[in-house]
Amino acid sequence: MPSPAILRKENRDIVLQKTHTGKSFALVAALLFATISFTLAGCEKLSKDSQDGLVEQLLGKPKPEPIQVGVLFSQTGSMAISETQLKHVVLQAIEEINASGGVLGRPLEPVIQDGRTREDIFAKRAQELVVESKVPVIFGGWRSVDRKAVIPIVENSDTLLFYPLQYEGNESSRYVFYGGMTPNQQILPSLEWFMSPEGGARRRVYLIGTDYVFPRTANFIVRKFLEDKSMQVVGESYVPFDHNDFTETYKAIRESNADLILSTINGSSNIAFFRQFAQQGFDTQASPILASSIGEAGLRSIPAADTTGHYACWSFFQSLKTDRARSFVQRFQEEYGSDRPIHDPMESAYVQVYLWREAVERAGSLSPKDVTKVLETNIEFEGPGGLVKIDPRNHHTYKRVRIGRIRPDQQFDVVYESPDLIRPEPYPNFAFPGWNCDWTHGGLQRGPAVKLENQR
Amino acid sequence: MFDWIYTISSLRFAILTCGFFVAFSWVGTIIARPILRSFVKHRESVNDLVGYVLSCFGVFYGLLLGLLAVAAYQNFRDVENVVSSEASSLSALATDVSAYPEPERKNLVWLLRDYTRDLIKISWPNQQKGIVSKEGNFAMSAFHERLLKFEPQTAGQEIMHAETLKQYNNYLEKRQMRLLAISTSIPEIMWIVVLVGAMMNITLVWLFDMRLMSHLFLGGMLACFLGMMIFLIASMDKPFRGDVSISPEPFKQIHTRLLEE
Repeated sequence: MPSPAILRKENRDIVLQKTHTGKSFALVAALLFATISFTLAGCEKLSKDSQDGLVEQLLGKPKPEPIQVGVLFSQTGSMAISETQLKHVVLQAIEEINASGGVLGRPLEPVIQDGRTREDIFAKRAQELVVESKVPVIFGGWRSVDRKAVIPIVENSDTLLFYPLQYEGNESSRYVFYGGMTPNQQILPSLEWFMSPEGGARRRVYLIGTDYVFPRTANFIVRKFLEDKSMQVVGESYVPFDHNDFTETYKAIRESNADLILSTINGSSNIAFFRQFAQQGFDTQASPILASSIGEAGLRSIPAADTTGHYACWSFFQSLKTDRARSFVQRFQEEYGSDRPIHDPMESAYVQVYLWREAVERAGSLSPKDVTKVLETNIEFEGPGGLVKIDPRNHHTYKRVRIGRIRPDQQFDVVYESPDLIRPEPYPNFAFPGWNCDWTHGGLQRGPAVKLENQR
Repeated sequence: MFDWIYTISSLRFAILTCGFFVAFSWVGTIIARPILRSFVKHRESVNDLVGYVLSCFGVFYGLLLGLLAVAAYQNFRDVENVVSSEASSLSALATDVSAYPEPERKNLVWLLRDYTRDLIKISWPNQQKGIVSKEGNFAMSAFHERLLKFEPQTAGQEIMHAETLKQYNNYLEKRQMRLLAISTSIPEIMWIVVLVGAMMNITLVWLFDMRLMSHLFLGGMLACFLGMMIFLIASMDKPFRGDVSISPEPFKQIHTRLLEE
């Protein structure tokens, strides 16, 4: 039998041991409770809300789902060099928008497709964008044939198309927003300036263009426009793509005694056209070329000496001396290189992304119908080239025209700038009588069929 | 299924993995221990028996984990080498095109610049999500088209052009290797073995006969270590994903160089 003293000591030890074990158990239980709660909360969220739930639980805030937007330009094929630039500025605008909080609090995610300079591929890729990616909007297109191939697809799928190029007009679609200029905004005011004393009071214009829809339609409008003006059309000719012998053309120009040459020549033909101007003994003072299809990007493939002193008409020039223009140019060149020229269609493509964003924010919805309603409320945006505004009637864009004289560094000195924004008119009355488009009242009103007299 | 682990930081992932295994170990120790110990109740040397089984099991499991960790690390290094090699090849291609006459030189440099930028800004982030982007294909096709349009005028240009085309093909091969590496990972079946093995290890620890505190401590330590090993393997399993991933730094250097040209 142990002595009472030993028994007391053992009892005390047992009590102490129990107390010690009790505290430890409480500590371990607390730790365990915390760990189990943490894990179970994660597992519960995981099972309830899919895999993102746990991430959400861990990160503490929900991750907004991106909004996919279609970006459809030719990245291969003959138009790749031009259209890739537009893709770049669209992506730049998207990156800027995402950096500033996205659209409706969600980031934009571009779904990029390659049109491969083929209208059938444009249609196919547009179909993929609207069916597979279900994008609410497509930014894209350069050539008219590509745009025309995409329009039925966006119309049938309730998707918006933002088309950034200047074009011939004579078209309208409720689902398309045209960011470039129509002839009444670009070519006609430029001709008016050349008729004025500041522009040299010129009276005889020769029309030369590449043989496709834009030059022929634009020149048809020019002819109609000049019918009651002091300037007359003294000649008109067309050359195929990649044409490089302008001997006959310059012979005709010389015979016509033109004091202005309006060129809608596109692509590589411009190299030979400008080179042979000087070789044929023409003078930039007496009969300069006014180009409506060549900008900073096109000029870089032509020797500077061949182009200096000629003119081009656009809404935006890289050399614009406004803060917004400088900032836009700087941001782009920081990303893509300081030797990268920036031209008007790039500015249009960039501005269109912001216009869409503005409309979505105001509509509070991505639905093309809601966005269209907002876009039809005279929505404005202060872009790098100045203020632009969507015309609610025909979904084209109010723009300012500028005429630039080409400098030896292949940039432009702006010699004229329209005092106000010019209203877009895809169906000028003098050329398309009876035709009108007003999506806010009655839609497209068709007049009598117009046969373009200069068509083949 | 577990792709979300690459969207959280390494620290969170490590805490989560270790926390899960420790919690599993502790819950089992408290809840399952009394039940499991009833099987071996009053038997002498039960701890020795469990210890032998656990050691034997641990050897095989340790070998599996060790080999997997080495394989994952080796794969990570291999993919890193593929990326370095691709970047070197791209750099050589950039050097080749800088010798072309104008305006081809400028066009080709621009296209390479665009490609490199898209690679860094679009393809790489997609790659980190396990997606193979199409943007790179577009830019490379445009570059190839442009390259093929060039018609050498001199014997020197012919040699240069042939060398550039060779370098271009070389680059494409390396790029393809990187694209294939985006989807490489440890097969799912191996992950199941690893996870079941970890659970069995922990379950065996529940059988030990010892004081609760000691049991929790030792079981927790083992579970935490298993969690860390699994975290390590999972982090390196997909070389382009998560915090522990291959960066596009070599391409950024080439892009900077191309911007300066």
